[in-house]
Amino acid sequence: MENVLSILFCLSLFYVSLTLRVKGYIAVLRSQGIILAILLLYPFIYDFSVYGVIIPLTILIIKVFFIPRYINKIILDLDIKRQVEPTIQQMTFLPLVIASMILIFLATHIISLITKIDVIPFASGFSAIVVGIYIMIFRKKLIVHVVGFLIMENGIFLFGTAVASELPMMIELGVLLDVFVVVFLMGIALNKIRSSFEGIEVTQLGRLKD
Amino acid sequence: MDIEIIQGIISLLLLILLAPLFSGVVNKLKAKMTGRIGAPVLQPYYELKRLFRKETINASNSSFISRFSPILNFVAVIIAAAMLPVGFWKPLISFNGDIILFAYILGLARFFQILAAMDIGSSFEGMGAAREVTFALFAEPIFFFTIGSIAFVSGAASLYEIYHSIHLDNISYMVFVVICSISIFMLAVTECSRMPVDDPNTHLELTMIHEVMILDNSGFDLFLYQYSGYIKLFIYTVLEISFFNPFGKESYLVYAGIFIVIAFALAFLLGMAETITSRYRMKNIPQYLLFATAIGILNLLIFTFTQ
Repeated sequence: MENVLSILFCLSLFYVSLTLRVKGYIAVLRSQGIILAILLLYPFIYDFSVYGVIIPLTILIIKVFFIPRYINKIILDLDIKRQVEPTIQQMTFLPLVIASMILIFLATHIISLITKIDVIPFASGFSAIVVGIYIMIFRKKLIVHVVGFLIMENGIFLFGTAVASELPMMIELGVLLDVFVVVFLMGIALNKIRSSFEGIEVTQLGRLKD
Repeated sequence: MDIEIIQGIISLLLLILLAPLFSGVVNKLKAKMTGRIGAPVLQPYYELKRLFRKETINASNSSFISRFSPILNFVAVIIAAAMLPVGFWKPLISFNGDIILFAYILGLARFFQILAAMDIGSSFEGMGAAREVTFALFAEPIFFFTIGSIAFVSGAASLYEIYHSIHLDNISYMVFVVICSISIFMLAVTECSRMPVDDPNTHLELTMIHEVMILDNSGFDLFLYQYSGYIKLFIYTVLEISFFNPFGKESYLVYAGIFIVIAFALAFLLGMAETITSRYRMKNIPQYLLFATAIGILNLLIFTFTQ
C-alpha cells in the first residue's frame, strides 16, 4: 500500500513538472495532501486509536483545505496571471526530473543495501525534495516558489515515514504549524510587496532597494 | 491442423473484422457526447466498401514507391496483428523476442507511409511526414519502457508470455498494470493520431499530421491506408485490454464480456478526450509524449527495485 501511494506521489511530481498552470500546481498540492493523509491513516484500519488519528486528520485539513484555499485567495487578491513562467525551456524540465529520479532510485538502492529502508517511499520522498528545489530554481513567480516549498515539505514528510515509522506527535504537529506559518507569512509578504512595489516576480525583485 | 493455429487464425480474423466497428463505436460515442446523432456504427464498413470499388489514381510525378507502399503498409499492420494475443489464445506468430519485431514492423509501416507521402512531392505531404516522424520519435520509447518493464519483470520476451505472466496477486501489481495502461492509452492516441495529438476530422492542411499524408491517395490505395489505420487503433486497444486478462480466467464467456466492456470503456475514453480537449499546440506535444515515457521509466524503476 505504501508503494502504491508513493507511485501516485511520483506521478503527481511528473504532472507538476509538466503543467504550466498555477491551477494544476494547486491541484497537485491537494492530491499530495490526500495521499499523505491516506498513507498515515492506513495503519489505523487494523488498530484504531484516537490519539494516532489526530495528525493525519490535521494534515488533511491543513494541506488539503487551508493551504490551497489560501494560495487561491492570494492569487485572486493580487490578480496574478495564472500561468507559470519558467526561466529555462519548459521542454528541458521533465527530462531533468526524470534523470534526477533515476539517479535517486539508484542511490536509494545502494543505500538500502547498507541500512534497512523502504526503497520506493524513500526515493519518492527524495525526488519530491529535488523537484521542489527545481521548481524554486527554475520558476519566476513567487507564489510558485511557495508551492515548490510545500512540495519539498511533502517530500520530507514521505521521506520521514520511510525512515522512521513513527515520529513523536509533538514534532509532527510542530512541523505542520511551521509550514502553515511559513505559507501565511509568505502570503502577507507578497501582499506587502505588491502594495509598495509593482511586480511579484523574482527577476523584478532585483531592483528592490531600501 | 493444430488447434493452436486455428485459434490464432480466429483471433487474427477477429482483429481484422472488428477493427472498423471499434472506430465506428468511437465516432458514434463522440457524436453522442457533442449532441449530434452521428453516423451509424457501421459507417467505416460502408466507407471501406465505397473506397474498395473506386479507381486508383496516382499523381503523375509519383514513382513506384507510391504504388507499393499502401500494400506494404497494410501487410505490415496485418503481420503485427497476427502477433497480438487475444485472450489466452496463442497468436499465429509468436517467438522469443517478438515485442521488438512488433514495434518495428509497425515502424516499417509508418516508414513506407512517410516515404510515399514524400514521393508525391507536395509540400503539404512533406510537412505532414516531418511531423509524423517527429512524434513517432517520441512515441517509440513509450512502448519500449511500458511493455519492456513488464517483460523485464516476467523474464519473457514475447507478447504472449508477457501477458500470461500478469497475475493480480498483490495490489501493487494491479497498480503497475493500471499505470502501464495509462501510458499505452497515450501511445494509442499518438500512434493512431487521435485528439490531443492530432485532429482526425480537421480539414485545414496546416494543422493535420496523419491525414495530410494520405491527401493524394485515392481508391484502393486509400482503402488500404484507412483499413490499416482502423486495424492499428484496434491493435492498441487489444494491447490495453489484455492487461485485464486475469479477470477473465474462468471461462470464455466471462472473457468475452470483459473484452466488450473494456473496449467500450476505451471507446468512451477516446470519445471523451476528443470532446473535452482541443488539439495541443505542436510544440507541446513532445512534452505530452515525454510524460508517458516518464511513466514508463517510473514503472521500470519500481519494477527493478521491488524485486
